[in-house]
Amino acid sequence: MIATAPINTKIPPSNHEFADVIHRLEAGGSMLPDTPENLMQIIGIYKAYAVPMDFYWRDLLYIAEQVFLNPLPFFKYFISKEYLERHNHYAGDDADLRIWRGVATAHPELLAFMEKGETGKMPKLFHHLWHDRINMEFAEACMQAMLWHRGMYAPYNKFDSYLDSEEYKANARRAIEAYFQGNPVMLGLYKLFPDMFIEQVRQLSYYANLGLFWEVMAPVFFEMSDIYDEGGFKGVPDAMNFLVNGIFAIAGRPIYHHAYIRGECYEIIPKSKGFTWLYEAALPYVEAVFYRTAPFRGTKSYNAQAKEVPDDQKDFHYGILYADVFPVGTAGIPPTLLMQDMYHFLPPYLVDYYQKHCRGQDDVLIQLGITFQRSMYNVTSAVIQALRTALLYPLDDPNPKHLMANRAFFESQMDRFTRPEARLRDVQSQDYR
Amino acid sequence: MLSTLIWLPVLGAAIVGFLPGNLTASRLRSIALAIAGVILLVTIWLLTQFDINSSGLQFQEYLSWIPQLGLTYKLGVDGLSFPLLVLSSLLTAIVIYSRNEEIQRPRLYYALILLVHAGIVGAFVAQNLLLFVLFYELELIPLYLLIAIWGGEKRGYAAIKFLIYTAVSGILILAGFLGITWLSNSESFDFDAIATQGLPITTQLILLVILLVGFGIKTPIVPLHTWLPDAYVEASPPVAILLGGVLAKLGTYGLVRFGLQLFPETWPIVAPGLATLGAISVLYGALSAIAQKDIKRMVAYSSIGHMGYVLVGAAALTPIALIGVVAQMVSHGLILALLFYLVGVIEAKTGTRELDVLNGLLNPLRGLPSTGAMLILAGMASAGIPGMMGFVAEFLVFQGSFAIFPVQTLFCILGSGLTAVYFVILLNRTCFGKLDNKLAYYPKVLRSEQIPALIMAALILFLGVQPIWMLRWSERTTTAMVAAVPTDTPQQVAFRMLRE
Repeated sequence: MIATAPINTKIPPSNHEFADVIHRLEAGGSMLPDTPENLMQIIGIYKAYAVPMDFYWRDLLYIAEQVFLNPLPFFKYFISKEYLERHNHYAGDDADLRIWRGVATAHPELLAFMEKGETGKMPKLFHHLWHDRINMEFAEACMQAMLWHRGMYAPYNKFDSYLDSEEYKANARRAIEAYFQGNPVMLGLYKLFPDMFIEQVRQLSYYANLGLFWEVMAPVFFEMSDIYDEGGFKGVPDAMNFLVNGIFAIAGRPIYHHAYIRGECYEIIPKSKGFTWLYEAALPYVEAVFYRTAPFRGTKSYNAQAKEVPDDQKDFHYGILYADVFPVGTAGIPPTLLMQDMYHFLPPYLVDYYQKHCRGQDDVLIQLGITFQRSMYNVTSAVIQALRTALLYPLDDPNPKHLMANRAFFESQMDRFTRPEARLRDVQSQDYR
Repeated sequence: MLSTLIWLPVLGAAIVGFLPGNLTASRLRSIALAIAGVILLVTIWLLTQFDINSSGLQFQEYLSWIPQLGLTYKLGVDGLSFPLLVLSSLLTAIVIYSRNEEIQRPRLYYALILLVHAGIVGAFVAQNLLLFVLFYELELIPLYLLIAIWGGEKRGYAAIKFLIYTAVSGILILAGFLGITWLSNSESFDFDAIATQGLPITTQLILLVILLVGFGIKTPIVPLHTWLPDAYVEASPPVAILLGGVLAKLGTYGLVRFGLQLFPETWPIVAPGLATLGAISVLYGALSAIAQKDIKRMVAYSSIGHMGYVLVGAAALTPIALIGVVAQMVSHGLILALLFYLVGVIEAKTGTRELDVLNGLLNPLRGLPSTGAMLILAGMASAGIPGMMGFVAEFLVFQGSFAIFPVQTLFCILGSGLTAVYFVILLNRTCFGKLDNKLAYYPKVLRSEQIPALIMAALILFLGVQPIWMLRWSERTTTAMVAAVPTDTPQQVAFRMLRE
């Protein structure tokens, strides 16, 4: 572990197991040690993550708004041209808030990949069946994690409780009846099992929630990559601070769910409800996907007999920050669809880096998975610092009591990583690959 | 041509041994491998010339060397020795190929390997008892050095133990041969000039027991086996291949060639005891293997068990059992060599042989998937799973032995089941499960490192589905050997003994 001496002399050093990390956070740093190698890895992977993410958010919104309750959604990943050309609200000339200096439509690398994939140009269906595509299954797994772990950050997060409100159900009912208009079979089923249909709409609302969340994150990561390429970031804390600033800049972005049925817009969750990006999307997302449930499909099975299924949902600890990136392996399960997606868009410097370590090309998916884990520790650091900024005191506060309150907050956050499965210890070492 | 197979490696050893000292280990390996390759090619050529319809000796060579001592340079092969000759040539090439890292004193290492091969081939083809002992002893010192210099942590202890046991074995065999020749008033030590039938049964029995103990040490038979686990485990993987794959066969070959063929009258008397010892070896080897935590030691104990089948088959002495004996010697040689090779690869890549440490080797990205897959294949072959040569050999032994020694054969079948038990333990712990993140930075197994295992695995599979390619060389010889043994029951022989 890279030791960090406490710079704040107004309060005694922490005795926490992760005292070094806490001192680093108190100094305005990240949970991830500040090394050029770490910076290069996390920025490179942000870029590789942002390209498929540019597809994820578009398709999530496409499903939430257009596919909606299609009982046979075979083509839900066959995103329409309209959604590929849909302007990101945080990129391009007409952005609400321009985070990325690039284009507002789908990223050029994404379009190029969708055209040919790895295998070459052939009908879209073959690309789909061959998994030579962006694997939306990962995005849906994240969405399902959020849906399943409902009630996070209540009462700050009002989104969840709204999904159980009569107002939401009435909105959903209107949309359901409109969608299945003229379809007596589905309407009959709806009469028999109304709750099932409402639950499906709730899930679609989470599609929209996550899509709107990632619509912001993709340009953030693209911009970070561009800044790094221009020599703009000097260290890991710079990258983290960019994220913190970004979080505050777009914290109030509305979270809503609109469905378009036969050209008419049904506001299932209207913008006017005032749900915001930070409390209703970002924090629940981080809690669900980073802490609680593994989006790395195929890397973890919950063994109830080994007591791997906690009684309480909040005790789940299978998120990215705990995930064992190594595949279980004996069945040859690919190490997650996300790693496969990111692999297509690695920047050249990261490709070279992986070739030099471990088994080079042979285990590049594992290496980039571990890089992804490092980068998510940095994102989590940004969230922790943002929460501290929002709820507590500045790091340079002159009052020792305030600093101790900050300390207690950081220590409580680090307590979540004292479990043996947490990878915080691992990411302190550069040899964890 | 047989002389070529003996003297080419000797010449090769001399060349390698006297090459300039500044040559790298890899260059020396290439030279040694070229020599082994030529030896293998000559062996393959002999394979094409071998007459499978003949039960007698072929490719015979004769030179009156020291007639005063009865020592002649008489060589020849038949269906008993020829498969072992082929196995030896193949495994020697693999042994040389498999040592691909830089080693200390490479000239001596490769020269000793070639010398061992010369000794083993000489012993297999010698048709003079003294000549056999000469070759039998020739491989002793090189193997001692190979264990003592390039072995593991306790190599000194293991090498000395091996030396003492094998030297005692050699002395007993020499004593037995001298006794046979002198007491039967033979003027020569030539194999075909000696007939023990004129000797009193008691004398025959004493001489046979001396030979059985001598060859029993080499095989080894429980309780003469204690040198084996130490030697196999402490020897480097290539030397372990030599020890288990080829050298142990000298013991079983000697039992059949000199025990059975020189003492056809008394063999039926010792046969029940031999079969019982064989069954004990099978069970002891299997149960000991189950208890091991070191995979190399587990494989070493499995070897003791599998040599027990040979003993039971040889004791039963039916045409099917005896051809099963030859098949089992070849099968065991190949399977054990593959197992030792794979254990060597695992140890080289992971730095451990501990069952409690290894896990998840089949992991496709960070494990050793191809090595793990072949380990599964080797385990299945060793456990006698149909479709592999281990099954053919064991089935023939069981089929041929059951009518004569049903109880011992049943214990052997039980031992075969126990083989599956310890291989399931081995495979379950090493290949399956979760690869530990903290350990899983193993280097990749290179394609060149996979080649020997692939060759052996292919042979195991091919001879499993086409066993005739293994059995056709021996069938006539083994049938003739069984026919040459009097049909007296043990009771009749014992009665004659009492009458004397």
